[in-house]
Amino acid sequence: MANKHPSDIPPPGPDNAERGQTALRAIYAISGGLALVVLGSLVVDFGWAPSWLTGQKSAPVAQVKGEKTDLFTPPDERTIPNDDFGASVRRGMAIFNQTGTNAHEFVGNDLSCSNCHLDAGRQAYSAPMWAAYPVYPKYRGKNKMVNTMEDRIHGCFTYSMNAQGSPSGGPPPYGSDVYRDLQAYFFWMSKGLPIGVQPEGAGFGKIDKPAKDPSRERGAEVFAANCAVCHGDDGMGQTDANGKQIFPPLWGPHSFNWGAGMHKVSSAAAFIQHNMPLSQPGKLSVQDAWDVAAFIDSKPRPKDPRQTDGISLQEADKKWHKSSADFYGETVDGVVLGTGYPKDAGASQSN
Amino acid sequence: MTDKNKQDPRLPDETFEPYEEPRRIPMPVYWIAIALAIWGVVMLVQMSYSTKIGDKERASMSDQEVAATTPVKAEPKPDAGKALFADNCASCHGDAGEGVADAIPPLHASDVVKAGGASAITHIVMRGIGGPLIVDKANYDGEMPSFASVLDDKDIASIANFVASDLNGLKSTVTPAQVAEIRTASADLNPWDGGSGLAGLINGLPAQPASETAPAPSPDAAATAALAMHGTNEIWSCASCHGDKGEGTQTIPRLAGLAPAYLAKQLHDFKEGTRINDSMDYVVKSLSDKQIIELANYYGAMSSPSGARPSLEGDLARGEKIALEGDWTKNVPACFTCHGPSGIGVGDKFPGLAAQQPAYIAHQLAMWQGGSRHNSPLGLMAGIGKSLSDADRRAVADYLASLPPAAANAKLALAVSATTKETSNGQ
Ligand code: HEC
Ligand code: HEC
Ligand code: HEC
Repeated sequence: MANKHPSDIPPPGPDNAERGQTALRAIYAISGGLALVVLGSLVVDFGWAPSWLTGQKSAPVAQVKGEKTDLFTPPDERTIPNDDFGASVRRGMAIFNQTGTNAHEFVGNDLSCSNCHLDAGRQAYSAPMWAAYPVYPKYRGKNKMVNTMEDRIHGCFTYSMNAQGSPSGGPPPYGSDVYRDLQAYFFWMSKGLPIGVQPEGAGFGKIDKPAKDPSRERGAEVFAANCAVCHGDDGMGQTDANGKQIFPPLWGPHSFNWGAGMHKVSSAAAFIQHNMPLSQPGKLSVQDAWDVAAFIDSKPRPKDPRQTDGISLQEADKKWHKSSADFYGETVDGVVLGTGYPKDAGASQSN
Repeated sequence: MTDKNKQDPRLPDETFEPYEEPRRIPMPVYWIAIALAIWGVVMLVQMSYSTKIGDKERASMSDQEVAATTPVKAEPKPDAGKALFADNCASCHGDAGEGVADAIPPLHASDVVKAGGASAITHIVMRGIGGPLIVDKANYDGEMPSFASVLDDKDIASIANFVASDLNGLKSTVTPAQVAEIRTASADLNPWDGGSGLAGLINGLPAQPASETAPAPSPDAAATAALAMHGTNEIWSCASCHGDKGEGTQTIPRLAGLAPAYLAKQLHDFKEGTRINDSMDYVVKSLSDKQIIELANYYGAMSSPSGARPSLEGDLARGEKIALEGDWTKNVPACFTCHGPSGIGVGDKFPGLAAQQPAYIAHQLAMWQGGSRHNSPLGLMAGIGKSLSDADRRAVADYLASLPPAAANAKLALAVSATTKETSNGQ
């Protein structure tokens, strides 16, 4: 700079001190800018930025309060292998979703497994199969013995599918392919879950005790307002134009029998609160769920198959229905509940 | 910097050229400018990176496709019929053609198919079939829609050959040219009248039940048809918007084949203001309750080909998944759990969606999301509309537009005598 001709120096140019300041300002500017970038990315990372800014949609998870959202996701059905094992998995899935067609001989009502185990047995808190498979064999108080998965499914056919009214008159015999294929399906679905650990999402989830005792009268109102659109005013469900059952019957001769888990008011209340109305889980209050479960339980359905000849309704009530608060054996609207249906009126045998 | 005004205080004011001091740009402006610049560069790098990954993925995908298709080359893909069967028939007849007990006849080892072969399957797929039918000694009385308006000759041939050979072990086949002949011969014919209707088509058909007698047309049918087609002085012609065959267009819905009770409810909802649409609000003003029932029966009993085609650039595979399986992570059950297999509708309250105009479906879903349609029972559709993204709405609408329209169901007709009151406008 010293060698330069004086005219080369721009007259209003900054002096040395000014130059130092400019450099300082540049440093401030750059570090400030960097700080802003870091801050911005932090804000986005932690999800503090409003969605209109980031363009990300916050997933609308309808949360049932107090429940976790980090649930196991079963594999997509498109990943079922194209081999002999996969063929068994597919048959199992078909039995699960259209039980009356694909296990015709052993089904005595108009239900399919997937009517209560929603989304083909995949939906959390509707007793998903991936949450059951890893915890069997298991001791069950219901039959006071260690149950294999086959025993468990045998029970489902006996009670929930009302096998006593089926063409064969009972559940699939032990060793039947029905069990083999269903278990292949459950096993395939549970891939990656640890054995012996009950995963979150198992069963129908928990439901608080209601503030008031469940009332079938209040339940009737809840039913008319929230359930009848799909299940019909008479609870018999609906079929399509071809006669295929679309919405399941909740009581009556073509529903589950008095031995099924769903007939327990507490189980039904939990299922209902976490899953119904379909697509609106958690819509009903805890009280509404208990009330409507009581209402459904106070309706006739096929008899408890454990109450065979020689066992009276009273004995059966004492033996199998005392621990659960249900309407078995009571007289409601002039009907004694638990007697089932004469054979010609529906699926079940007479009593 | 020093203040330049003070440099030469002797200069007279008049010659003073006012200029603004080159004021410094405030520091935060630099910060923001630099932050933006850095962000821009980061975005650029990221974008070019992800396009690179995308390109790579696409390249490897097409490699796989090439690998998968090369061995079969010129011949039609052996799996084409299987895939088409899965897409078009399985939602009713089952993945393996097993049918549904007491509702839908099986296609594997069906004695009707065995007697009639690929040609009979083509005839049935082309026209549809409804009414009493016996397959493998079991009784059915359903309604299968006609696929003529949604499948081309090649696809129908693939499906018929797949059902004949793979599901029934038959040797008989049809060619696309033969399918084209059957299409011409079937044009404008009603669905086959159950098993008895097939008697002339299939030699050695197992014994079939007699057909049901069609319900007598209502005495006012002609007047209702005239009203729908031409309107009156006060009433606009429905056909002018909804089409001569009730097939709809764009955001004007298909009405043909929807359950009369559903149609009547919508007309009442427009009238009472619980559903809002400028055109329909005006249209329903002059309709009497009796006319509403008659028009609902008229459109409910109408069978017409699909007037819908996928047109929203939706992802059909995604749409099919939503319709058949749902997206439970968003609390969206399969559409067909409520709207019936293949979207044929269920009872009075769950309208058919098959062959509905895709723009109309996407628009209605968006209206539920925005809250401007709020007349569905229990608000069932509001939640579903809210949970679907725009891309999902287009995907599912396009998929539904690819389905054959449900056959009209005469059993759902409303009794005209059920009319309780005539409105003042009634004629
Ligand atoms: C909306 C449901 C539905 C769809 C989709 C459907 N069908 Fe059907 N199909 C039926 C019903 C219901 C019947 C019985 C009709 C009757 O009772 O008259 C039937 C009957 C048949 C029959 C004659 C009876 C038999 O089982 O042999 C054939 C053949 C047939 N369908 C083939 C097909 C093919 C091929 C496809 C796919 C392109 C298809 N269907 C799609 C519902 C459907
Ligand atoms: C000016 C055009 C126009 C005319 C004329 C018209 N409509 Fe509509 N209609 C529409 C539109 C647009 C919609 C969709 C409304 C919406 O987006 O909510 C509709 C909807 C409907 C719906 C509801 C359908 C559904 O799937 O929910 C029914 C039912 C209906 N119209 C019946 C009729 C009848 C009957 C007539 C003759 C009396 C008629 N419309 C005349 C334009 C018209
Ligand atoms: C829980 C049951 C249920 C499910 C699941 C369901 N819907 Fe609906 N949907 C209904 C009901 C009920 C109506 C009738 C609304 C009314 O009466 O206003 C309806 C109406 C509609 C209509 C209006 C039809 C018309 O003609 O205006 C469309 C479109 C529709 N649904 C699309 C869908 C789609 C797409 C899905 C799947 C993503 C779906 N629905 C899933 C219950 C359901």
